[in-house]
Amino acid sequence: MTAKKNPNTKKIKDEDFDLIQAINSGQADKFHELVKRYEQKLYNFSLRMCRDHSDAEDMIQETFLNVFRYLKDFRYETKFKNWLYKVAASTCIKKRRKSKFAPEKELSLEEFLPGNESEIPDHVPDWAMMPLDKLLNQELSSTINQEILSLPKKYRLVIVLRDIEGFSTAETAQILNLSPSNVKVRLHRARLYLRDKLKGYFENDQ
Amino acid sequence: MTSDDHDHSHCLEMFQKLSEYIDGELDHVNCAEIEKHAENCVACFTCLETLKRTIAICKNVKDQPVPQEFSRKLKEIIQNIPKPTSP
Repeated sequence: MTAKKNPNTKKIKDEDFDLIQAINSGQADKFHELVKRYEQKLYNFSLRMCRDHSDAEDMIQETFLNVFRYLKDFRYETKFKNWLYKVAASTCIKKRRKSKFAPEKELSLEEFLPGNESEIPDHVPDWAMMPLDKLLNQELSSTINQEILSLPKKYRLVIVLRDIEGFSTAETAQILNLSPSNVKVRLHRARLYLRDKLKGYFENDQ
Repeated sequence: MTSDDHDHSHCLEMFQKLSEYIDGELDHVNCAEIEKHAENCVACFTCLETLKRTIAICKNVKDQPVPQEFSRKLKEIIQNIPKPTSP
């Protein structure tokens, strides 16, 4: 969690730079401003990582406590937001290791391939063609959130960071301490998994 | 798109690269190859379009508001952390 000093690295001045400088210069009471800025994002990130609200709330608390503890060591070698998610992801991974979840399933590319000729699609379904705003509703949001939660964690972390939080491949790799190629592999499988779930959802809907 | 009577052995190779293609992380040669293949393969074209739509749905999924009670609790916890004295 502690950033290593690297004198040759340029400081990244993002929108949180001044606030962090102030907190680290002794105005610790300003920390709640930082919490306010990221509370909503982290709350939703935690909900997507944990299977219940109580765990999600614990995860946010632990994340902010860790951020408070290690903020003085933050060297601006990355955007604060990226570092914050690194702390959150690390908190999440540690938390899950302590819990009693079953071993995580690996997703293989083969399981997303059509099993036989009859499964090979011969047309693009309506849900992929109609305007997105006509498709998105509360029920679909709830379905996609549920299906994200059903993904094994290592894939879930990647797809949430990439496709929901909007981090790039390189940023996601840095946050999760993975290689960019590993991020790409997990992302592709996670997307294919969700695509299959959506296919099922829309087929049952018709 | 033409009729889908081609040899599907090339499809797996395309299938593996679709996310990188959508994310703009492939070089021109690979992009051109995928585009050409998708023009002639209904299965891969469908896969590409449904994958694009899946990503778009993820990108547009709405966030939930933080419950006020939890927000208050968090504020309290933060206020009660022992603060270091000024340097």
